[in-house]
Amino acid sequence: MTATSKTAPPETGFTQNGDTRGSARVTRETVSTVSVAILCVMLLLSARLINPALGSWSQVETVLVLGFFLVVLSFGQGVVILTGGLDLSLPATITMGGILATSWVGAGNPGEWYLLPGVLVACGLVGLATSAGVIWLRVPPFIMSMAMSIIVASGLLGYTRGTPRGAAPDAAVVLMKSHVFGLPTPVVALVIFAIAGWLFQSRTVYGRYLYAVGTNVDAARNAGVPVTLIRILPYVISAVCAGFVGIALVGYSNGATLRMGDDYLLPSIAAVVIGGSSILGGRGTFLGTVGGALLLTILGTIISALGLEFGLRTIIEGSIILFALLVLREELFQKLRSFGR
Amino acid sequence: MTEVQLQQPAFHDSRPGLVTRLLTGAGLIVMVYVLLYVLYAVQQPKALTSYSIAALINNTAPLALAAAGQAIIVISRGFDLSVAGVISICNVVLAVYPLEGPGGAAVSVLICLAIGAAVGVMNGYLVAVLKLQSIAATLATMIICQGIALVILKAPGGSVAEWISYEMTDRLWGVIPVSGLVLSAVLLIWMVLRRTSFGISLYAIGADESAAALSGINTTRVRLLAHVVAGCAYGLAGFMLSAQTATGNPSAGTPLLMLTFAAVALGGTSLSGGRGGIFATMAGAATLTLLQKVLFSAGIASFYTGMFQGAVLILAVVFSAFLVRLGDRK
Repeated sequence: MTATSKTAPPETGFTQNGDTRGSARVTRETVSTVSVAILCVMLLLSARLINPALGSWSQVETVLVLGFFLVVLSFGQGVVILTGGLDLSLPATITMGGILATSWVGAGNPGEWYLLPGVLVACGLVGLATSAGVIWLRVPPFIMSMAMSIIVASGLLGYTRGTPRGAAPDAAVVLMKSHVFGLPTPVVALVIFAIAGWLFQSRTVYGRYLYAVGTNVDAARNAGVPVTLIRILPYVISAVCAGFVGIALVGYSNGATLRMGDDYLLPSIAAVVIGGSSILGGRGTFLGTVGGALLLTILGTIISALGLEFGLRTIIEGSIILFALLVLREELFQKLRSFGR
Repeated sequence: MTEVQLQQPAFHDSRPGLVTRLLTGAGLIVMVYVLLYVLYAVQQPKALTSYSIAALINNTAPLALAAAGQAIIVISRGFDLSVAGVISICNVVLAVYPLEGPGGAAVSVLICLAIGAAVGVMNGYLVAVLKLQSIAATLATMIICQGIALVILKAPGGSVAEWISYEMTDRLWGVIPVSGLVLSAVLLIWMVLRRTSFGISLYAIGADESAAALSGINTTRVRLLAHVVAGCAYGLAGFMLSAQTATGNPSAGTPLLMLTFAAVALGGTSLSGGRGGIFATMAGAATLTLLQKVLFSAGIASFYTGMFQGAVLILAVVFSAFLVRLGDRK
């Protein structure tokens, strides 16, 4: 698969494959991040034309609150994709976070300061199991995470006997419903998370290791990267992020359902792809992903404001992913670069 | 290109020994199936009546057909997630526009095949011509297909033509299940197909795409065709599923998605391409369906079925990879 997508047409190979070592990443990643950000702003502004209520500041706040869930999720998904994997277990781990938060912790529990982190640890263990399967049993990532998803979902179904009970923990309600500096707390949290995530992925050693492993495992190992650790980490991060989103969702809607995570899997992948990351791994920035997540959230709010039925919304979502894939195709970028000189 | 060839081990004998052939081919999964069936028959003595055998085959048919299509893609080293979408569309179309009588059934089959082929052409174009990653491209087509299914039918409902739901799940002369005949027909088509240049090219591409291209195989055309053939198999699976459920559900295909991969892996088809077959895949699908029945009759709450399916999927992939490595070591 890799071989096919990277073969350039031989006759033009010499002119195209000049020395683009430095420019390749800068062009591709900056271009896609900036264009996604511009697209976001344009969509928000043009939304006013559809409905005057859209595009207002309160609308922006709503988008950012809703976008918080997707940004956190797609950070986890993005880290997994960066190392060449794919995490399909997000819906199950989101639901797990939500259900454990309501049934273990619940409202008014004085022990929530250690129980809520406990929920995250439990979710992290699911991620650990996924990476164990991927690394040591050599199960393809998407099969392994799909299997874990089914296992966890069925475990939750059995655990709750089909009807989740309990209310949201107080901390989760505070996170989602309070205000800081006149802004909703999730919006502030979104900004902090985006900066922290970007710093981790692009500015720390571990972040750079992720790129190294995603680009070429053998080369990374020879270069002294702790490959095993770096391959374990992404699924754990992703599962913890998903568990956190589960808790946050419970705080937002004050209750857990068994299908609460289902609507987040495809957008999480889409956000990463639209944000300019390669689905093959080794390329992409978190800021691009944040843009992708916000773009999808804005589109979602506009589409639901248009009153389109769910089926059409789904078709549009799929077409957006397809469009992003087509636009981000390797050859297209090569073409653009060759036009540039 | 040269590097790739240098790393390749010398070609091993294409006809492995009897023991390996039994273990890596369909032999193993058929043995597992028979053992599981014995277990089932011990639990439920009526399992050996022609009625319950037919019921079992009826339950198996949709998954077996969908997995057969998936196997074709996996053999050529790809993944196809659109299977869920195609089955859902076929199901809602049959439920919203029921066509009565044998003529209506024939038209319905053709419609399902056409839907599958159309989605297959789209997948094939994206994967073979535009060279998109197959997981990503078929993920997008799957979402679009699910959206289309939802547009056709918003919520579960409608009813499939009675002739289809009755005749396709019936037994000929009270013995031979019709769904079994459909499966045999597909198997027969595959046996012819794999001996054509298309079939041989499919395996060659899966084993080593650049080598296949260098030896003059039109990889683009073969991949495109593979997606169309697979799409037709999904369409047929959608048809058989509708016959069985007799009603429409816009997300009818979703539960089958993971199970097709499990069936392919159980059948010993390597997920990294180039190996495997349809018969073993169908046997894998049959084993998964039988496993559900055995678990149910063993009194395990249906809540936990997923746990076993997930575990079986992981074990199947690990075990088939182990057997492949064992075969390579000789």
